[in-house]
Amino acid sequence: MNAVAHLGTDTHPTAPAQEEDVLVRVSGLSKHFGTGGGLFTAAAAPVRAVEDVSLTVNRGEVVGVVGESGSGKSTLGRLVLRLLDPTAGRVIFEDEDITDLRGAALRGFRRRFQMIFQDPLASLNPRMTVGDALIEPMQLHFKLSRKEAAARAVELLEQVGLSASDMRRYPRSFSGGQGQRVAIARALASEPKFIVADEPVSALDVSIQAEVVTLLQRLQKDLGLAMLFISHDLSVVEVIADRVVVLYLGRVMEVAPTEALYRTPAHPYTAALLEAVPGTSRSGEPLKGEIPSPSNPPSGCVFRTRCPFALDACAADVPALRDVGPGHQKACIRDDLDL
Amino acid sequence: MPSAEVMSDTVLEVRDLHTQFDTPNGIVRAVRGVTFTVRRGETLAIVGESGSGKSVSGLSIMGILPRNAAVTGGEMLFSAAGGPPRDLRKLPEKELRKVRGRQISMIFQNPMSSLNPVFPIGEQIAETLRHHLGHSPAKARAAAVSLLAQVGISDPERRVDAYPHELSGGMRQRAMIALALACDPELLIADEPTTALDVTIQDQIIRLLARLQQERRMSMIFVTHDLKLVAEIADRVAVMYASRVVEEGAVDKVLNRPAHPYTKALLDCIPRRDYDSDAGRTLKPIPGVMPNPLAPPPGCAFEPRCPIPIEVCRAAVPPFEEISPGHNTACLRWRELRP
Repeated sequence: MNAVAHLGTDTHPTAPAQEEDVLVRVSGLSKHFGTGGGLFTAAAAPVRAVEDVSLTVNRGEVVGVVGESGSGKSTLGRLVLRLLDPTAGRVIFEDEDITDLRGAALRGFRRRFQMIFQDPLASLNPRMTVGDALIEPMQLHFKLSRKEAAARAVELLEQVGLSASDMRRYPRSFSGGQGQRVAIARALASEPKFIVADEPVSALDVSIQAEVVTLLQRLQKDLGLAMLFISHDLSVVEVIADRVVVLYLGRVMEVAPTEALYRTPAHPYTAALLEAVPGTSRSGEPLKGEIPSPSNPPSGCVFRTRCPFALDACAADVPALRDVGPGHQKACIRDDLDL
Repeated sequence: MPSAEVMSDTVLEVRDLHTQFDTPNGIVRAVRGVTFTVRRGETLAIVGESGSGKSVSGLSIMGILPRNAAVTGGEMLFSAAGGPPRDLRKLPEKELRKVRGRQISMIFQNPMSSLNPVFPIGEQIAETLRHHLGHSPAKARAAAVSLLAQVGISDPERRVDAYPHELSGGMRQRAMIALALACDPELLIADEPTTALDVTIQDQIIRLLARLQQERRMSMIFVTHDLKLVAEIADRVAVMYASRVVEEGAVDKVLNRPAHPYTKALLDCIPRRDYDSDAGRTLKPIPGVMPNPLAPPPGCAFEPRCPIPIEVCRAAVPPFEEISPGHNTACLRWRELRP
C-alpha cells in the first residue's frame, strides 16, 4: 500500500505539490459501526462504512469525493474532521497527529477546520439570530469584544452576498440558497484553513446551486482554503474539484486529477458512474444491481459483483491502489480494459 | 386497436389551467393559465424549479390536490383510445375514479406515497386489478407476478409477498411503477420519479420507463427539475417559470435553440467544465430571485431577471407565439437571444 501514502503528493497538473503543501493527510482510515451486541442481542456484523482509506488534501486544493449512497463519503468527511472516532487509521493535520486528541486539545484544533452540510439549518441554532450565530464563535475563538465581533460578522455576511440587515433574522426565514450562504459565513467565522463540504448544493435548485458553487469557488480562491467537497453529483464536482476520489462501499476505487478522471477513467466503476450521468452518450449497458450491504461486503474487490469485467481473481484479494498515470491511481487488477 | 380515423392523436389537452392554494398568507396562484398537449405515445417533459407549478399541474390533472388547493379555471380534455375528449374537471367523482388509476396513473419521487406499508406489494397490485378490471384473485396474483418481472424485479414469485420496507429504494420505485402500470394506463404522470435515487439507479429507472412507454405505446408526462434528464427521456418539453409555461416545443429545438431567456439561463446553470479555457470552471447563475408567489409581477414574471428586457415586457404577460411549427415561446424578444 505504498502508493497510497503518496496520494496527492505526486505531480499535479497545474501546480506540482510539494510534501510541505500537504495540509491534511489521512492514512488507512476505517470506520465500523455497531460492532458490539446488546444485553439481549448477539453482536451483528459491523457496518463497514469506511475501509482503509488514505488521501491527502494540499493547501488551497479542492478534492472532490464522489460516490453513491452507502459509499461512505459522508462518514469519511466526519472522520477527517474528527467528528467521529475512527476504528483504525490516522488523521494528520498540519503535521500533527490529531487522531487521539480529545476535549480541550481537540477544541483548540476545531477552529482550523469547519464543515458545511446539505441542510444549512442543521448547523444553525433555530433560536439564535444569524448575528449571534456568527458573533459567538468569534468571541470564543478570537477573544473579540462583542462590538468587534459584530463588525466582523457584518463583513462575513457581505463576503457571502448577504447584508448587515440580515444580522437580526432567524435561520428559518432564509430560503435554501440564502441559508447555505449563512452556513458558509458561519463556517468562515473561525477563519479555518480547511472545509469539508458535504453535499452543500444537493438540495438546491439548479439556478441557486450555480450561485452557491460560484460563491464557494470565489471564497476558496480568495482565502486559499483547502476543501474536501463531497457530492453524488459528478457534474458539480467536475467544475469545483482539482482532484477527485471515487468511493465505492467504503473503499477508494480511483483517484486522479479532475480532467484525467473525467476524460480517461481507469476504473470500471468510475466509467459506469460517468456513463450513468444523464445527458452523456450511452454506449454500454447500465450498471446492473445495487450497492451490496456494507455489513457483508464482497470478498476481494468490493465492486466485482456489479463489474462487467470481473474475473475469478477479483474475488481473491482486495486490489491495491496503483499508479496508472501522473497522480492517477486505481484499485483494479485489470489493465486490458477499453473504458 | 381502433383505426386511425377514430384514434385521436391527442391524449390530453390542457387549456388555460388555473390552480390556486389558499394559504394563511393569502392566495397563491400556483398555476396561471397553463396550456399544453400530450400526443398519443409521446413523452412530454414539464421542467421547472421549485415553486414553478410543474408538480401542481400534474396533481391538478390527476385530481389529487391537497385540501387547500383547487382548480379554478381551464379545461383538461382527456381522450381515451377511441373515445371522445372528456373534460376531467367536469367528470363526476364516480367517473373520475374510473379514469384515475386505470386510464391515467401517477408515480412520485417517494414510492411510499403510493405504496401502503402494511400490505405486501403483490397484494396492492392485485387489489388494483381486482377493483378496476374485475380480475379473479388467482388471475390478479399471476398478473402481479408478471408485472413485477416486467419492471425488472428479480425473483418475482417470491418478491410478490414482500412488504415495501423489505425492498431497497430502487426496488420500491420499480414496485410503484408496476402498481401504476397495472391497468395498462394510456397516460402516466411521473413526478420527479428518480430525484431521490443514486445516479446508477436513476439510469436504470429512466431506461425502464422509456422501454415500458415504448412497449405499451403509453403517453407520459415527465415532471422534473433536471434539464439533462429531459434530453434523455422526452419528445417534447414545456418549461415552466413562476406558474406559467414560458416555452414549449420539441426537445432538440428547445434545448439546442432556446427561444426564451429563462430556458437559456437554466441551460447555462448546468455545470459543464471546459478544460480548454481559463473560464472553463465558471458557472453562470441567474441573477435575482423568483418573484413572490403572493404578488407576482403583472407582466412577464422573468422580466426582473432577464438580460434583454424592454419596457412592454413589464406591462402585460407576453402571449405565446409560435416561432416555428410546434415551437412556442412567451417572449417578445426571442429573436435577440443568441445561442
